[in-house]
Amino acid sequence: MKLLYTLKKEFLLITRDIHAVTVLFIMPAVFIMIMSLAMRDLFELNNTVHIDVLAVNRDAGKKSGEFLKAIEELRTFKFHLLEKDVATEKVKEQMLSRDYKFALVIGENFSAIVEDIEKEEDQKPLALFVNPAVNLQTQMILTNALDGRLAKLRKDAFIDRIGEVLAAAGIDEKKLKAAEESRVEVQYVYKEARAAKVPSAVQQSVPAWLVFSMFFIVIPISNTFISERGQGTLMRLKSMNVSRVALIIGKMVPYLFVNAIQVILMIAIGVYAVPLLGGTPLTVGDSLGGLALIAASVSFSAISVALLIASLARTTEQATTIGGVLNIIFGALGGIMVPKFVMPGFMQEIAHLSPMSWGLEGFLDIFLRNGNVSDVLPESLSLLIFGTAMLICTMIALKKQREV
Amino acid sequence: MISIKHLYKSYHGKSILYDIQLSVRRGSIMGLLGPNGAGKTTLISILTGIIEKDDGEITIGGLDLEREMGRIQSLCSYVPQTLAFYTRLSAFENLEYFGSLWGLKGKKLKERMAFCIDAGSMEAFVHKRVDTFSGGMKRRLNLAIGLLNEPDILYLDEPTVGVDAQSRNYILETIRKINRERGTTVIYTSHYMDEIEQVADEIAVIDEGRIVLHGSKQALLTHADAVLISVEPMTEAAVGVLRQRGGLQVKADNVHVERDERFNENMAAVFAVLHDHGVRVKDIVFGHRNLEALFLKLTSSRLRDDEGQNG
Repeated sequence: MKLLYTLKKEFLLITRDIHAVTVLFIMPAVFIMIMSLAMRDLFELNNTVHIDVLAVNRDAGKKSGEFLKAIEELRTFKFHLLEKDVATEKVKEQMLSRDYKFALVIGENFSAIVEDIEKEEDQKPLALFVNPAVNLQTQMILTNALDGRLAKLRKDAFIDRIGEVLAAAGIDEKKLKAAEESRVEVQYVYKEARAAKVPSAVQQSVPAWLVFSMFFIVIPISNTFISERGQGTLMRLKSMNVSRVALIIGKMVPYLFVNAIQVILMIAIGVYAVPLLGGTPLTVGDSLGGLALIAASVSFSAISVALLIASLARTTEQATTIGGVLNIIFGALGGIMVPKFVMPGFMQEIAHLSPMSWGLEGFLDIFLRNGNVSDVLPESLSLLIFGTAMLICTMIALKKQREV
Repeated sequence: MISIKHLYKSYHGKSILYDIQLSVRRGSIMGLLGPNGAGKTTLISILTGIIEKDDGEITIGGLDLEREMGRIQSLCSYVPQTLAFYTRLSAFENLEYFGSLWGLKGKKLKERMAFCIDAGSMEAFVHKRVDTFSGGMKRRLNLAIGLLNEPDILYLDEPTVGVDAQSRNYILETIRKINRERGTTVIYTSHYMDEIEQVADEIAVIDEGRIVLHGSKQALLTHADAVLISVEPMTEAAVGVLRQRGGLQVKADNVHVERDERFNENMAAVFAVLHDHGVRVKDIVFGHRNLEALFLKLTSSRLRDDEGQNG
């Protein structure tokens, strides 16, 4: 009965606190929808994200058209052609002023070089100008694509020239050209056998922003706890034989429920709301046990951190500032805001220090890798140990306080 | 009902309570008076189990505080000086929550809540959020929460701070009624001497961690060597003239005359001034001592603003 009324009290306090509702429910819901849609094309096969390239085609022949078309079919680059007689300096100027990442100038000897494989000229048929803001990886993707397509065109032209010889030798010219296509087969690997499923933006953004928002439980917990202490409610509770342990449990249980509601709500948004806006629906994986374990572990850890901050801070302003900054640092380090795979090696090592990283990896085990309870056990244990340490610190801090 | 022997408490080497000896009769209302930092709140915090004593012996209702704190706490209720409830909840939701913490449920919980709503005269606003309440309404709720468990002992720490005269009067009436009808023992701290004078049966004065006076109100305030002259409100000029004389305690509506060697002379002078300023005498009581004068005499009139932290 006590627990029931404690739950009711905490729920009423949260639902009547507009800041808590915004941070716990509205912020992650909005983030999930925005990020799932914004990053949709990065993960999907019908990728429409491309890099715009300013191009000038001075080629006297026809091979350059074929060349540009072949590059555009990669879906990564889109060419914006200028007049063929624009001066090279003007091309460079326009690249910078119109914020293009690249400018490509195709020389007038391009077709000639393609069609005559033995022809060696000092002048290269392609000149690529690069905006300094472009990273090396992107630059290499384009140069590899240009080199690769140019090489294929030259080889195809060569095969055409020796067509009669090949026919006499019984070699199929078409098969020979096709042999140049990529022979690399890409497969996603899951922890359990599963129908082929491609990772999508929603699979990445739901766990990330869910973990982030669960840690923001620090806002309502510290608001309530510090008010209770300041208004003498904790003293009143203590005079009613409510022990320190009961007080902590009385805080943990309701907020475990609040976090559980966050989990259900954010998953529901991923499954039902994101598709309504044109995104792909979230798939939850097959292990509800694993999902419950990692969710409970993240929740325990987040509530413990929140209780420690609430017990140490003297004012709600202090608690929300410390809690907010700490969460943003945990999030930035833990791969919430910047995916870990784009971080350099040493940052990826540091990322493992953030409890948000453990939680995120656990959720990704379930959502992306189709893991089960045993797969999330290491992350869950880390979170539970971390949470227990925070709780012990909380108890020590509270014991030193006269009114608690 | 409450027996305190040789109680000591100190913080960071500073003595807050020193050799406190005090007993409170069952069914009495004891007014606990003391300046800021005297040790009132510390004493109540020890009695309610909020903080631990350093040394001494306390029994409440025959139970030892140290060994049977849980049982003692179930017999008592503490109404802090602060408004100790949830302002984003309604009065009803607050009463329901605190009632459940006392282990009340079902019909019993409803009955106790109904009693407390009536005791706090909160019927009209019981379902409204507390952050919309006036100061008086909040104070009444603070008291009502303290009545949920039908306590045998009620600790009230400055229960009327910051309220209007009507709410203050209502709270005092409620305390007296509960004491009269249920025999609840009340420990009442206040800075308002007239409140203590109005409501208490016993008075204890604490200063610098020591009990400097304890006894029944009648015994403390009856003093054969004093006369209280109640008058209609005087002008500032009349008050000013009277305050120039020694042996007098002067307020706008009364004058206290000590029966010392200048008694006759002072009485004559008081009546002369009252006559000259056209002030009508309402009553003359022989053998009455003014509580505020007594309090200031016992605790000295030194300011204690900087000593209220552990009071």
